[in-house]
Amino acid sequence: MKSLAPHAILLLALLVPGPDALRAQLKFEQSLSLNAGLYAASGFGTNFYTSARYDYFIMAGRYFVEASLGIGSLQSDVISTVTKAKIFTSDNLVSYEFAFAYDYAPGGALPFFLFGVGGVKEGQETHFAAVIGLGKRIPLPGLFGSGALGFRYDLRDQIFSQRINNSDPFIVHNIVATLGLQIYF
Amino acid sequence: MSAYSSSRPVILAAALLCVPPISLLAQDNSVKPPAETPPLPLIDLTQSVMFEVCPHTGMMGSSGIFGLKLLMTYGAFSLELAGEQVIGTTAMLYPISINAVLNLATHGRLIPYGAVGGGLWLTVPVNSLGAETVSTLGINFGGGARYFITRSFGVRLEAKEYFTSISNTRGLKNDLLFFQEVSIGATFLFH
Repeated sequence: MKSLAPHAILLLALLVPGPDALRAQLKFEQSLSLNAGLYAASGFGTNFYTSARYDYFIMAGRYFVEASLGIGSLQSDVISTVTKAKIFTSDNLVSYEFAFAYDYAPGGALPFFLFGVGGVKEGQETHFAAVIGLGKRIPLPGLFGSGALGFRYDLRDQIFSQRINNSDPFIVHNIVATLGLQIYF
Repeated sequence: MSAYSSSRPVILAAALLCVPPISLLAQDNSVKPPAETPPLPLIDLTQSVMFEVCPHTGMMGSSGIFGLKLLMTYGAFSLELAGEQVIGTTAMLYPISINAVLNLATHGRLIPYGAVGGGLWLTVPVNSLGAETVSTLGINFGGGARYFITRSFGVRLEAKEYFTSISNTRGLKNDLLFFQEVSIGATFLFH
């Protein structure tokens, strides 16, 4: 327990941005981030997921618009080993999103909230999805001698109507959780 | 010491005290108050050729769409290249078009516009074995508005009507199809 204390303090220091670091990052208008995490496709299980996000900030970062592209997989051990079924033409998953976000306190503790639309391509089928989510941008002052780097975490819900093997359409919620490194410019 | 020499510093001082008001008066007459310059509009489309990138989303009928528009603007006229993906249940539609845009205002934050154009429609069936991509020609017209929040960023609303003609399976006659599209998006302006 005693040995964990310095790490906890370091983590807290990283997560709470200093005012100078915040001021430095508020002057930037755009950012690009690379993210990695998990994608829980409803009915197919959870797989690794990577994405790239572009953000354009307005009003000192209180609002921003975002475009993102992500790649994942629909591989399911249960479906492939137990049922031997092939639901989609491939296991590839591609999703893209366009969203608008509101960040009440860009340097505070509260997360930003986001809503938008997206396309979820499962195999050869593409679905038009509504996207809601939250996240947080955390500046990393002085890392690699730059004031333009940050860390971010995101949690998204992609909601769309799906139909499998001529079933009645049903609503699915695909949950995406990612961590990312963000560069401002 | 004469009376003149003793009063000489007093005369000099009096002369010095009298001069400044005269010179100030002369300066006041020569300096004119600055003229009232009208405030510059946030957006002036007549300044130079400008380029815009507009990602957007919306609905065509009951299907969702994503798209990207590229505009080259000078004054009241814009040339637009648009590409979209319409996500249908049985097919994907990819309208690609070139449009002429008439900006109904060239100054200020709000730029309403009308647009007309034409292009190619690519229909790609989903999960239909043996089905091929069908391409048809289509035209469109509509209008909308761009509202700029900053000098380089704004939002865009648009409504359009699309027409295309496809031949039926027997090829005996052509069917004219109409689609309505409503879209909302962002616009990034490059001066």
